Amino acid sequence: MRVILAFVISLGILLATASIQAHHSFSATYDGNKPITLRGTIVKMGWQNPHAHLYVDVKNADGKVVTWEVESAGPTTLMKQGLRKEDFVGAEVIIKGFLAKDGTPTVNASSFTLVESKKEFVSDEKTQ
Amino acid sequence: MTRSMIASAVAVTLVALMLGAPMQAFAQARPDFSGTWRISQAKSSRNVVGNTPDIQFPSQLDVKQTATDIAVTATSVRQRPVSATYKLDGTKVNVQAPEGITETGQATLNGSNLVITSRRSFSSPAGDVVVDFKEVWTINGTELTIEKTRTQVGDTPSTQKAVYDKM
Repeated sequence: MRVILAFVISLGILLATASIQAHHSFSATYDGNKPITLRGTIVKMGWQNPHAHLYVDVKNADGKVVTWEVESAGPTTLMKQGLRKEDFVGAEVIIKGFLAKDGTPTVNASSFTLVESKKEFVSDEKTQ
Repeated sequence: MTRSMIASAVAVTLVALMLGAPMQAFAQARPDFSGTWRISQAKSSRNVVGNTPDIQFPSQLDVKQTATDIAVTATSVRQRPVSATYKLDGTKVNVQAPEGITETGQATLNGSNLVITSRRSFSSPAGDVVVDFKEVWTINGTELTIEKTRTQVGDTPSTQKAVYDKM
């Protein structure tokens, strides 16, 4: 019984730690000195809490396509603005955000705008 | 009152105006931004601090101003500082930016405002990025307001405003 209890507690601690790591602060992961605007095509949506993730194919100046991971607001915030997980795969999008400190193709998006509809989604929940 | 007394009064008034006006203009043209300034989240517009900034503003500014120069060190939590000593005549200078970033800037006093323009470039997995910034600083007692515009090639400009309190 004690073994099971210890296992359950350990599992709880592990899950809590994972959640805290997922909900990191901007300043820990992203470089505020490196703002960037990207234009590309959404190829996948990750709809997990606490942040939704867009995966966007962006073509470089030399023509090479790089898939970027775009961290956005939580699904609830995006849903309040009318975004659904399945809506926009294949859509062209403009992303405004900041580069990750580790140099990977990862950005924190302050906003992204669908090119066709000109609909803008912002990550700031205070504007909701 | 005789005509000569009126003429004297007019002359004295004119001299006072001639002496006073340039001094007033000098006072307006030389606001002093020196000091340590800390951002006020309550007074600043949305998206300038926190987890989803539209335009990043430093959380603290340390400023030393002389008759000819203004030295600015900008720091933020867990971000590398950016510093520069600008010539107030608008001469272009190199900004001491973190490794991997090249930046030049220039500053001018425009009436009661300080205007700083800069160009920052760095590499990214999407290629080289060039971003232009324009900051307009306005001081009002113990409050410093900075309106900052960010423009990246191929993008529409974004403008946000932040307010700092003097420490």
